Amino acid sequence: MPQVRIVAKNFMDMVASLPAMKLDKLYDNPFICQAILRSLPPLAKKYVVQLLYIDVPVSAKLFEDWVLADGASKHRVAIDRLIQLRIFNQTLGRNRETTYRINQTFQVNLQKHIVHGGALPREPMPSNITVRLPSLEELEAYAVDQWECFLLHLINSSEAEKKTNISSSMMRIFQKGLISQRDEREPAKLTEGGFQFLLMDTNAQLWYIIREYISNSEELGVDSADLISFLLELSFHVTGEAYNMNTLTDIQRVTIRDLADLGLVKLQQGRKESWFIPTKLATNLSISLSDTSARKQGYVVVETNFRMYAYSTSKLHCEILRLFARVEYQLPNLVVSAITKESLYKAFENGITSEQIIAFLQQNAHPRVAERVPSVPENVSDQIRLWESDLNRVEIVPAQLFDEFSSRGVFDSACDFARENGGLLWEDSKKMFIIVKGEMFNLMKDFISRFR
Amino acid sequence: MTSVSSKLPTDDVSLLVVIIDTNPLFWTTLNSNFGFSEFLSHVLSFLNSILLLNQLNQVVVIATGISWCDYVYDSSTCVSKRAETLLDKLEEFVEKDESLSTEDSADGVAPSLLSGSLSMALCYIQRVFRSGSLHPQPRILCLHGSPDGPGQYVSVMNAIFSAQRSMVPIDSCVIGAQHSAFLQQASYITGGVYMKPEHFDGLFQYLSTVFATDLHSRSFLQLPKPVGVDFRASCFCHKNTINTGYICSVCLSIFCKHQKKCSTCGSIFGQAQLQDSSTPDKKRKTPSQ
Repeated sequence: MPQVRIVAKNFMDMVASLPAMKLDKLYDNPFICQAILRSLPPLAKKYVVQLLYIDVPVSAKLFEDWVLADGASKHRVAIDRLIQLRIFNQTLGRNRETTYRINQTFQVNLQKHIVHGGALPREPMPSNITVRLPSLEELEAYAVDQWECFLLHLINSSEAEKKTNISSSMMRIFQKGLISQRDEREPAKLTEGGFQFLLMDTNAQLWYIIREYISNSEELGVDSADLISFLLELSFHVTGEAYNMNTLTDIQRVTIRDLADLGLVKLQQGRKESWFIPTKLATNLSISLSDTSARKQGYVVVETNFRMYAYSTSKLHCEILRLFARVEYQLPNLVVSAITKESLYKAFENGITSEQIIAFLQQNAHPRVAERVPSVPENVSDQIRLWESDLNRVEIVPAQLFDEFSSRGVFDSACDFARENGGLLWEDSKKMFIIVKGEMFNLMKDFISRFR
Repeated sequence: MTSVSSKLPTDDVSLLVVIIDTNPLFWTTLNSNFGFSEFLSHVLSFLNSILLLNQLNQVVVIATGISWCDYVYDSSTCVSKRAETLLDKLEEFVEKDESLSTEDSADGVAPSLLSGSLSMALCYIQRVFRSGSLHPQPRILCLHGSPDGPGQYVSVMNAIFSAQRSMVPIDSCVIGAQHSAFLQQASYITGGVYMKPEHFDGLFQYLSTVFATDLHSRSFLQLPKPVGVDFRASCFCHKNTINTGYICSVCLSIFCKHQKKCSTCGSIFGQAQLQDSSTPDKKRKTPSQ
């Protein structure tokens, strides 16, 4: 079983692991407070709101009294998270009682938000300067296009037509862990992690890339806290509005160029000024911190005869399907493929599991079949699982062989002894051979030596 | 595995329909240090905090006047300048409400149109239910102060039962001096929370502690439990709240006095009495309290 896990969702862990000083600095920005609040578990959010206007430490017992027995574990998770993120400060009050007090910067920022309502990080530019802004549909198409182009480059696909502006060194950093190249002549191969990455949904992929991006720029000397706060701030802009580039700092201006290559923003140049327009990918950044993600329209229909029809014009989709299916022919808006034993074996070899494939098929089911239960025919999903378990037919167990028994009586009692202890693997009564599990060797030796 | 398995929406995305009482007659009777403007500032902060909790949370505000009710705010259509939009619409609403209620009934405070705003809230929620398979979890919060109008008994009860059917909890926060039997029943039947705060100055704290709790978290927390629910009904003939009355055996309509014929379904009550004069056929309604 592959043990590679690409951890993409716990961006908040990354924030939580920042040193205390940086974390406190991060809370100076009201948008970060908001984004972080939204990423908390529901119970933790409630605790924060409850304490928002309370200026004295509150005893931990008070919280526990509110919680029903069922919720004790959820309560602990929530409190741990709050303390980890330094939103709650834990202190020992009088009579050795644990008390919590909300982080004051955090508190003040949220209070402002509650009193004044949600403000925008920066004012959009008036429409008389920005001549022609793309419509929301155009913007969405642009974002999807950029992102796919990036992914195709990432997996070194020959299908990528457009060039991406991301430098090859940056690309190599993203590819680390996803793609391996043993030596120069060999074409680069996707690793197990790479396959799992491709099967993730867009938001999860995005966060994985952003994480890599942040840790990379940290090496280049950019403060990760600044970057995180800029990215989170970006997610509070309104999709489709233009924002002036002059409002950004130099570092942010460099960052935003890279983000444009990923499809998070669209850059436009006017006669005098230039501006950036956030796309849905950017504004969804803070939503995807919690597990919410808007469900994408599916495109795959799997039939009981193992045929798979994918209604998609995207080359990336085709590449993904190629990971575990044999593509038979491609029409402008349709990819017809078949799930075969050979294609699946290839996938299993690369470390994709049957459960991942089935989950992928279920999540990307075409709306017409998504209503059906199950959306993937049972015979197909069962067969995929069976084929995987076929590969695991051989089990390796360390074993010991005993032979040349002095008499049949000794052999028989040795067999019985091994069987009783659950260690007998194989016996041949004619030749008087017996094979037992390795860990039973000493027991067996003692047992047989008693007959001597 | 984090990759493909976690695509479910979070459990705490909620749609909150807030019904606020704008009855001017009621607000003038309340003691002077907690007026309508203080009330509104608490409510606005509360709405902001709900929208702060989750990007997908949605808030709808319905104003309840004496003679009509209307949507005054919807967070899905209006993104920026929340408070301004709400206050403008509310002002318009109050003016129109004043012009509609022409003659002044002199007997105390006239009731607000609770049944109307409850129905509007339920209509809105139904529309959300039908819009797609992934929708936020709806709940209704009544911020009500004016006394119950016994005349609205039937329509309020109908609204409560339809909320119960569509599994929408009705929370109620009573701002007035006396308990509201309607809202007690509404919260009791639909599984919502009923509360009458003691100190109105800390209204925001009450709202954020109790009513900001999303439906998912409610199963882990201890929320205020009803002490007693006033189950008394109103009679259909004079719209009075009664302790004991007569009930139609066919359609269950309630009357305070003995009638010859049911005014709702038209059944004639007299026949049984003719055959057996000792006990009348009308069942006596015994209150559950």
